[in-house]
Amino acid sequence: MYQYDDIDQTLVDERVAQFRDQVARRLSGDISEDEFKPLRLQNGLYLQLHAYMLRIAIPYGTLSSKQLRGLAQIGCKYDRGWGHFTTRQNLQYNWIKLEDTADALADLAKIQMHAIQTSGNCIRNTTTDQFAGAAFDEIEDPRVWCEIIRQWSTFHPEFSFLPRKFKIAVTGSPNDRAAVRVHDIGLRMHKNAAGEIGFEVIVGGGLGRTPFIGKTIRDFLPKQDLLSYLEAILRVYNQFGRRDNIYKARIKILVHEIGIDTMREKVEAEFAATKDGALKLPQAAIDQIAAQFAPPAFEKLGGVAAEYANAFRTDFEFGLWARRNTFKHKQPGYSIVTISLKKEGEAPGDAKAEQMTAVADLAERYSFGEIRVTHEQNLVLPHVKQADLPALYKALKAYDLATPNVGLASDIIACPGLDYCALANARSIPVAQQIALRFKNWERAHDIGELKIKISGCINACGHHHVGHIGILGVDKAGEEFYQLTLGGSADDQAAIGDLIGPSLNAADTVDAIDTLVETYLRLRKSSDERFLDTYRRVGLTPFKEAVYAVA
Amino acid sequence: MAKAPKLDSQPQVVTANDLKSGDVVYLTKVAGWSRRIADASVVANAEAGAALLAIAEAQAKMNIVVAPYLIPVDASSTPPRPIQYREVIRADGPTTEIRKPAA
Repeated sequence: MYQYDDIDQTLVDERVAQFRDQVARRLSGDISEDEFKPLRLQNGLYLQLHAYMLRIAIPYGTLSSKQLRGLAQIGCKYDRGWGHFTTRQNLQYNWIKLEDTADALADLAKIQMHAIQTSGNCIRNTTTDQFAGAAFDEIEDPRVWCEIIRQWSTFHPEFSFLPRKFKIAVTGSPNDRAAVRVHDIGLRMHKNAAGEIGFEVIVGGGLGRTPFIGKTIRDFLPKQDLLSYLEAILRVYNQFGRRDNIYKARIKILVHEIGIDTMREKVEAEFAATKDGALKLPQAAIDQIAAQFAPPAFEKLGGVAAEYANAFRTDFEFGLWARRNTFKHKQPGYSIVTISLKKEGEAPGDAKAEQMTAVADLAERYSFGEIRVTHEQNLVLPHVKQADLPALYKALKAYDLATPNVGLASDIIACPGLDYCALANARSIPVAQQIALRFKNWERAHDIGELKIKISGCINACGHHHVGHIGILGVDKAGEEFYQLTLGGSADDQAAIGDLIGPSLNAADTVDAIDTLVETYLRLRKSSDERFLDTYRRVGLTPFKEAVYAVA
Repeated sequence: MAKAPKLDSQPQVVTANDLKSGDVVYLTKVAGWSRRIADASVVANAEAGAALLAIAEAQAKMNIVVAPYLIPVDASSTPPRPIQYREVIRADGPTTEIRKPAA
């Protein structure tokens, strides 16, 4: 894993000292709220409904045991003993006090973490595949490139005041688990005809009030040109992106308005002028960062471990969990384990401090001290020996962390919604909780199979509702919470924006409607191998719409 | 965020967030701030509301609270109850503690 060098540590420590001084000046009245607000936002501190909220960057979703343990301690010391993992692979504390913030940031700096660039119109945390460095289908570990992007984009003076925020995602696998087509820039690693590995560069994707699937601006970009090309895109966006209307300021609107071909001409012209300049990446620099992401010391294992095979045969619940929550590792004898933070009835993405500490300890024992955060608000132990899976399962179960529902109906993405967020129009978490309870029966849930339900409490779409197989958007209708349903969205390599099904419903009817949609799918599917999304794509909106709105 | 409701002749109170803690607070009858809406100064109409808000804004300038604003309440209940569900959630806290589902 990447370790801070002196430059990183000094940067972060100086920033904490600077913010400590800014908070002191705010509290003493030397600076007004209007002057202070942009400063606190640049340090990830929002003022939400009930309290300040501190958003911590988890670079490309990778944590060490030491860091996760530290996050648990900070959660106990300055918050209410828990944290909330977000769709940006970040962590949010929901009950922070302004007067404690500098101390919390100082504690974070000690574990090589910070909240810089988690807000504001700058380049945000680069996100990636949570299985990076572990998945069997990976071409190359994308975190090397995420780290290079992190170093380039941190405090980049030219891009600190963009027209709007800017999000980059990278996938190193042909099976996109990082939703790269719905980011401002998506990078998809692939091999060209000559067998060289480079990037497909996708630009102008995004969700929010105007969702777009990103368009390919370049099929193949050699690795050493990555930063030059990113800089060219950012420069064109910075110059031509709209600043007159906050709702039209994202790069997706620029790409949509001028068209991908004009965008490409401008970017390529800029790139041609700068590609062999200071940003051309020397191989030695790439190698130096890549070395920090070298695979851990895997054991050479052969065949199926007896403990694993035995537990699969004799322990039904373990088998259920292993089928749903593990993924094929590139190293024989190892598995990737997803720890569901979606136990039915809990708030999606929430983890208590004792759960975080337990995961940190288990990662140390079973996964080379490494943990990942997924954009679907779960945690991952990336490198677990299959022989250890039964023991790990038992340990996770003791902390309510062994819910066997990854990818199922109850594995819901939900934004904090109106229970916490100052921007929300409606609550998300209670709706997610009610839906999850509705699909609690494991037999039915496993029979339904993969179903991605995503809920946002407002049009800003933090809950990714546009790309949910079933998307739910909370709206305010004459002072009441209502929910609009969309169907057929997808965030993977076949990315699609969902179709609006019809008039919005109240919360109780929404939960019933999800049930109806699922029953309709079960009736229409050709076989149990046909997923909800496949059935929807085959039969279209009409039968689902008729079923939901049939009963008056 | 939902549109602010009309306040003309409705009972109303001033709410804000405490600068240091971020806590939800309400302006009281003695021009202090309380975390309990029960302590809030309730006024009857927009005119009285504007006067109340002026006091609150002066206190925001004194760095006690952040961004004060008026909200309509149902004054017939004790304590007064916000009309908008957003403000009910601010007054009561998050609603995410799940109730046991019906058996």
